Amino acid sequence: MADTPHLLLVDDERSIREPLARFLEKQGLRVTQAAHAGDARAKLAAYAIDLVILDVMMPGEDGLSLCRHIRATSDTPVILLTARAEETDRIVGLEMGADDYVVKPFSPRELATRAKVILRRAAAAGTRQHPPDSGAYAFAGWVLKMGERVLVDREGVTVPLSTGEYNLLLALVTRPRQVLTRDQLLDLTQGREAAAFDRAIDNQVSRLRKKIEPDPKTPTIIKTVWGGGYTLTAEVTRL
Amino acid sequence: MRLWPRSLAGQLALVSAVALFVGQAINFGLILRERAASRLAQASRPVAIRVADLLEREAAGVSPARAVRGRVRRLATNPIPAEATERRPEVADEVRRQLAELGIAVGRIDTQLLPASELVQRRPRALRRWRDRIMARLRIAIEQPGRGWLVGVAPWPRPGPRVLGMLLVQTLVIYLLTLLPLLWIARRLSRPLRELTRAAGQFHPLRPPLPLPAQGPEDLRQLIAAFHALWARVAAMLSEKDRMLGAIGHDLRTPLAALRVRIESVEDEQDRTRMAETVMEMSRTLDDILSLARLGHSSEPMGEVDLAALVDAVVEDFRDLGDAVSFTPSDRLPWRVRPAAIRRALRNLIENAIKYGGSADVRLEAGPDRACVVVADEGPGIAPELLETVFDPFTRIEQSRNRDTGGIGLGLALARGLAREAGGEVTLANRPTGGLEARLTLPR
Repeated sequence: MADTPHLLLVDDERSIREPLARFLEKQGLRVTQAAHAGDARAKLAAYAIDLVILDVMMPGEDGLSLCRHIRATSDTPVILLTARAEETDRIVGLEMGADDYVVKPFSPRELATRAKVILRRAAAAGTRQHPPDSGAYAFAGWVLKMGERVLVDREGVTVPLSTGEYNLLLALVTRPRQVLTRDQLLDLTQGREAAAFDRAIDNQVSRLRKKIEPDPKTPTIIKTVWGGGYTLTAEVTRL
Repeated sequence: MRLWPRSLAGQLALVSAVALFVGQAINFGLILRERAASRLAQASRPVAIRVADLLEREAAGVSPARAVRGRVRRLATNPIPAEATERRPEVADEVRRQLAELGIAVGRIDTQLLPASELVQRRPRALRRWRDRIMARLRIAIEQPGRGWLVGVAPWPRPGPRVLGMLLVQTLVIYLLTLLPLLWIARRLSRPLRELTRAAGQFHPLRPPLPLPAQGPEDLRQLIAAFHALWARVAAMLSEKDRMLGAIGHDLRTPLAALRVRIESVEDEQDRTRMAETVMEMSRTLDDILSLARLGHSSEPMGEVDLAALVDAVVEDFRDLGDAVSFTPSDRLPWRVRPAAIRRALRNLIENAIKYGGSADVRLEAGPDRACVVVADEGPGIAPELLETVFDPFTRIEQSRNRDTGGIGLGLALARGLAREAGGEVTLANRPTGGLEARLTLPR
């Protein structure tokens, strides 16, 4: 079945792996399980895997190292399952090239939603086009740091962003000079976290403008396209 | 006690100096007494013997020998003038006692101190003056009632400056001989002790111990070795604690995650939602416990952060979830903080306000040397006597905070811990208009 996405679920804990695999299968995904990194490497080689869901804390080779291996050898997207919510763990995970992460205990529904979003993005782009969620982008005097999810201004002062603002800005910055409709933006920003579901994109844009535009009343960085949506006009450099 | 030195070396030196001085003083007292006794004997004994000898010869009709005559002479009257001042009555008493022992009864006995120089007139003047200072003669006149006076002369050494000088020299020599080695030992003791104190003061579980060479006497070497062992034990215990907390975190989170996954197979949606909420609640509590235990070894770097944007972002996240949180917009306020830690502290305060007050009104007050984030709610507030108690971990005020609002009292403890880590503070106060006000203060 070529159109059923094939997931590889890597977790040493049977008590999580097996019910999670059953749940994901009910959600219409094909799931192959692996109990450790060696098993996972073998199955990655044996099957055409569309997405890897990977536990970070495993005996033997851990998830971060396996994630690095996957990133080095293929474009297969990775979602990390981490037991720790600490900032540094998340940053390291994203630096290792993971596309997303969920903190245990997580909602299986949310995991399924995120997995589908990532799969849809990968399918839409043909290959894996979404940049790894680490590093930084510079635009119009600002630097958007992805690991820490913050914006840094010309003077080096960090400007924290809410989850919704960050997701919206990331969507805009990774697609400079493209016109993005409200629906597209909603689609691009949801799924990472439930946060953006209820908020109107217009509201988020106006909040972002207050933070980054020299004059929010006559925006020059995020412009409104009449009848269309929004576009980021500034030059963006990947750092 | 301003004279009492604080250091070991100083106290050792002072105590031994005082002890040595007292010992020397007692010693010299004894020497002086001894000398006085021997001088008394030296002065009285020869005179008494000569007097006895003279009287014996006279009784035997032998004319006194020349030599003897030169020493004890017979005079008709007392040669000592009445106005003479330097008398030595103790010598007179001793001579009388000795004569009595020899069976000679005498009348009055008079004494007079004379300069020694008359004896040695031929010597140079300087020498005479020096001799006068240390030596004198004592003239002793003994009355034989009816037969005139017998007069003899005895040497009389003066104690004076010579003895004092000796005391001084001797004391100095003893001081040099004992205090120098003592100070050396004290230094040998106190340097390693000082280093040990410094090392103990700088103890930090995450830093390796200061290099502390085993030096000084054996006792001290043992102390240093014991200190090293203690350091290693404490560091091991603390890292064991961290390791254990990490393991607890992992080991509890894993079954929680398994449970959370299995909850999805529960058919009843209401049950499912409640169970999921309970699991998330447990997970949050676990997070709080772990964060509280890890306070003090944050790995997050400090950075210049716009506090206004930070508060705004936290508030916005709550609003995204549909909570009634408002923020009065504030001007840019760059501040040096650990952003994730402050976000966490603020989140806890706002969560508390929502949980117990229904809503939160957040504002930022900027001062020259401190910034303050104020989170106000419109709930019932807290009885004044409990305003501090609620910061203790695991406290909850039962009346106003009922069970199904969930959460054990870790949020405030953690918020305060995080604020203090940044050198700041969290305080609570009831607002005059009702409701509670939490203030998160951060120093510049």
